[in-house]
Amino acid sequence: MTGVFAGRDGHDVDALVTDRYLDALLAAHAHGGERSPAASESSPAGSESSPAGSELEQRLRRTADRLDRDLPRLHPSFRFEEALAARLADVAARMRLPTTDVAARMRLPTTVGAAGVVVPIAGRASEPRAGGRDDADLRGAAGSRDPRATSRRPRVAYGRPLLIGGALTSAALSLAGAAYVAWRLNRPAVGPMARAVRAVARTRLA
Amino acid sequence: MIRLAFRKVDHPEEGGPRLAHLDRDRRLVEAAQADPARFEALYRKYLAQVYSFAYYELRDHHEAEDATERTFLAALTNLRRFEERARPADGEGASTFRVWLFQIARNAVAERRRTRRRRPETSLEAAAAIAAPIDIEGDAAIHDDATAAWRAVDRLPGDRRRALVLRFVDEMSTAEIAGVLGRSEGAVRVLIHRALRSLARDLGDPRR
Repeated sequence: MTGVFAGRDGHDVDALVTDRYLDALLAAHAHGGERSPAASESSPAGSESSPAGSELEQRLRRTADRLDRDLPRLHPSFRFEEALAARLADVAARMRLPTTDVAARMRLPTTVGAAGVVVPIAGRASEPRAGGRDDADLRGAAGSRDPRATSRRPRVAYGRPLLIGGALTSAALSLAGAAYVAWRLNRPAVGPMARAVRAVARTRLA
Repeated sequence: MIRLAFRKVDHPEEGGPRLAHLDRDRRLVEAAQADPARFEALYRKYLAQVYSFAYYELRDHHEAEDATERTFLAALTNLRRFEERARPADGEGASTFRVWLFQIARNAVAERRRTRRRRPETSLEAAAAIAAPIDIEGDAAIHDDATAAWRAVDRLPGDRRRALVLRFVDEMSTAEIAGVLGRSEGAVRVLIHRALRSLARDLGDPRR
């Protein structure tokens, strides 16, 4: 025997020849062919010494052709297909929510406040992260008596709610304006022009 | 447990590329790994194949659907763990995704077998009845041939039947079947050859 059949026993050679024939059968399908390789070729396995022409091989070929032709390919019901497609889409949508995953890992609320809604944001000290350097520093600083450590302690608002949306109101602006006017009135005049303007104002008010 | 390994084949020198007839799924798989919503393309492509495999194994419509559902759900949720084993020599875009998918299907079928109730295996008639409207509707002679072929395949031992179904129904290459069944290519070739020989005897002269 030569080529790929060299060094093989009879069973291996038979199996290899059968395999080549089935490959040709699949290739015929892939190219849209209707005829089996057996019908179009006398020896699809090649002309090397092989039992392709034996009676056993002919029977195997016909059996293979018959299985290829007769074994049904099945398809599930379209109702099942669409239901499973919907379920897969649902699972896929849940897999596509990285913000939810991040929030879950960080124990943050997953709902984001709309305009003017107060949502609690956990402070770093109230929600310590495992192994977090900042939290370790904070804990170390709080537990020590070293004033330098206390001075290095950052000003962190613990558990303070955060207002999202509508942060500044007209009332806040009015208070700031009144404070500025009061400060300006109590401040001594700097130059002659300012003193002249105030004198005129006092005259008019009188 | 999902096995991701694609077995090394024996005698890779004998038949050209190591993985012949691989499906061109690489781009679809990469797209689905980046965006799980795009898994649908792979689902539509392989639904019938996975269902056929499950039906031939379980011979029950509902159990085949259940195994199919479990297969695709497991594939979707584990898709990011899928590791491409096809090599550039296997062709542009070649992918072992189908092998991986059928490994999952095989496990799902085995799980269904373990958990399902004991029932008499008399569902061959139902199998033929389901197959009839799809492939051989209205042709009694062809229907009889299909039923006979189905019965003969069903009588084969499990490994031989599995290999034949993957070869003829799912049209897999020997390399792919070896990956699905966890055997060498040589063993799969011998398995299929012996299965065909048994069927040739069982079916008698096919020319009749």
